[in-house]
Amino acid sequence: MIPVTYNLRNLRVRWVTTVMTVLASGLVVWATVLTFGLSDGIQHALRISGDPLDVIVMRKGADAETSSVITAQTAREVSNLPGISKSPDGQPLCSTEFVTILTKPRRNAGGTTNMIVRGVKPIGKLLRPQFRIVEGRDIQLGVNEIVTSRSMAKRFENLAIGEELEINKIAFKVVGFFEAGGSAAESEVWTDLNDLTGARRIQGAISIVNFRATDVNSRNRLIQQLQEEERFKLKAVTEVRYFEDQMSASYAIQFVGYLIGGFLTFGAMFAAANTMYAAVASRAREIGTLRAIGFSRTSVLASFLIESVILCSLGGALGCLATLPLNGLSTGTANWATFSEITFSFRFGPWVLARGVIMALVMGLLGGLFPAMRAVRMKIIDSLRQA
Amino acid sequence: MAANQSDALVVVNNVTKEFRRDSFVIPVLLGINLQLARQDYLALMGPSGSGKSTLLNLIAGLDRPTSGEVIVCGTNLGVSSESKLARWRSQHIGFIFQLYNLIPVLTAYENVELPLTLTRLTRRQRDEHVRAALEVVGLSDRLDHYPRQLSGGQEQRVSIARAIATDPTLIVADEPTGDLDAKSGGEILELMRRLNEEFHKTIIMVTHDPNAASRAKRIVHLEKGVLVNTNATPVGATA
Repeated sequence: MIPVTYNLRNLRVRWVTTVMTVLASGLVVWATVLTFGLSDGIQHALRISGDPLDVIVMRKGADAETSSVITAQTAREVSNLPGISKSPDGQPLCSTEFVTILTKPRRNAGGTTNMIVRGVKPIGKLLRPQFRIVEGRDIQLGVNEIVTSRSMAKRFENLAIGEELEINKIAFKVVGFFEAGGSAAESEVWTDLNDLTGARRIQGAISIVNFRATDVNSRNRLIQQLQEEERFKLKAVTEVRYFEDQMSASYAIQFVGYLIGGFLTFGAMFAAANTMYAAVASRAREIGTLRAIGFSRTSVLASFLIESVILCSLGGALGCLATLPLNGLSTGTANWATFSEITFSFRFGPWVLARGVIMALVMGLLGGLFPAMRAVRMKIIDSLRQA
Repeated sequence: MAANQSDALVVVNNVTKEFRRDSFVIPVLLGINLQLARQDYLALMGPSGSGKSTLLNLIAGLDRPTSGEVIVCGTNLGVSSESKLARWRSQHIGFIFQLYNLIPVLTAYENVELPLTLTRLTRRQRDEHVRAALEVVGLSDRLDHYPRQLSGGQEQRVSIARAIATDPTLIVADEPTGDLDAKSGGEILELMRRLNEEFHKTIIMVTHDPNAASRAKRIVHLEKGVLVNTNATPVGATA
């Protein structure tokens, strides 16, 4: 094998083209890893939102909580079904909730967008074990108070602690920020069920019933019963399934990511190929010499491929490193299932970064392949004659 | 010192070589016969385009004849595969080029070490070979110099060190003094004479410089692809 020192020194000697190519491939990897980080962030937010034993019960035909209505009578019957877990004080772990959409202004004159407000009873928080107040305090019932996440407060006007959010001209005071393990709940504003339905002037309205089954068998039996029994005829799905169905936004972003990644990789391959063609052309006599003194075609091919891969890997590493400052940065996108915004954080986990590295390797290998083949196809005596 | 075919190191038997350029066939060598014994020092002379470099390339295993046989160190080069030829060259041939052909990004030491990386020598053994070769050419104090930091004569001496580092059976030199001034050229020719006489290396040198050719033990002339005057003995050389 031709020593790798040969490739490294050549890259250093031609440092201007090396830097340009590294920057080009780095930019491509950065842009693509960013989109993968986005889709991974959304998927993470939705995936961790569901507990396998939790079931969401909605009106038949409803696609999301926001388009569901259930009567109080039905909700009571659901909560009394056998097979539902009990809270420490013996209450069924069953939460009746009202979910509504408000159109509210974004901060920094970012226009208006939809926000989900959820009215819950205290038992609803037991169904979200990761729910915890991280700043301020939790709401008191009956006094029009709300809590939300820090990321929502950053994105929407009037959601900082102490500020007031108007719901049908009634002021709801923000008293605290909560975290819910990065789940979809962090894209919502929570208040007391009765306060919210009162403000919306639909007292007693319920959107969904959320309960936790005692075990998988009970869960499956309850889902079947709620869907098939004449007195219910409801839509019942596991929480996991419910949030999976909402991942369409992330799949769209992921698809765009692959599309952009594919096109950009293709483009960057030409940048790498161009650099390597120039390298082969300017080093024809060196190639002839190496082959004359006994290095095989395979060695020369491998050497130029290695050089190309080193070039693009440097770019890949740079691109991946450049995404890290954005890791955890929260942003939002439309959740088309609920017609509201979902906030989430960029996630550049190992698999996202690995895809960036793989892209760089593919760029290097494919970009270097044709120039390397040109290098080995040259006849030795012709190469030696090159100036 | 022409050799019998049986004990010759190089045997060129009725070799022709043609090049194709588009639809044209250009004959370059026309029925060449030549033998070279071990420890011989042959100068191949002739005007430009006479085919001397082509003949040298055939003997060095860089190209194949159109017809005839080229047998060097017992290997028929015309029938060997590309990869076998590459391995064979690394074991048997040391190259000295007119333009030195050093790798510009490698130091003198690394350039000389390059052909040794194709052998099974350990790093330590390689180091001994490199230092010994650079000692022979008088450049022990230039190990870490890059080619651009050396004069033309010094570059050619590094190139000679690279050619002898693997202790090859045959050294082929294509116009080794063609790019050097008279003084540096003289030093290179003296070095090649030492390689032949003190280190018993077999050398074939292509040159059109009669002064350079006169240092060889034997001179052959090529004209229009045909060998003429194959027994010329240089003045002052031992036959």
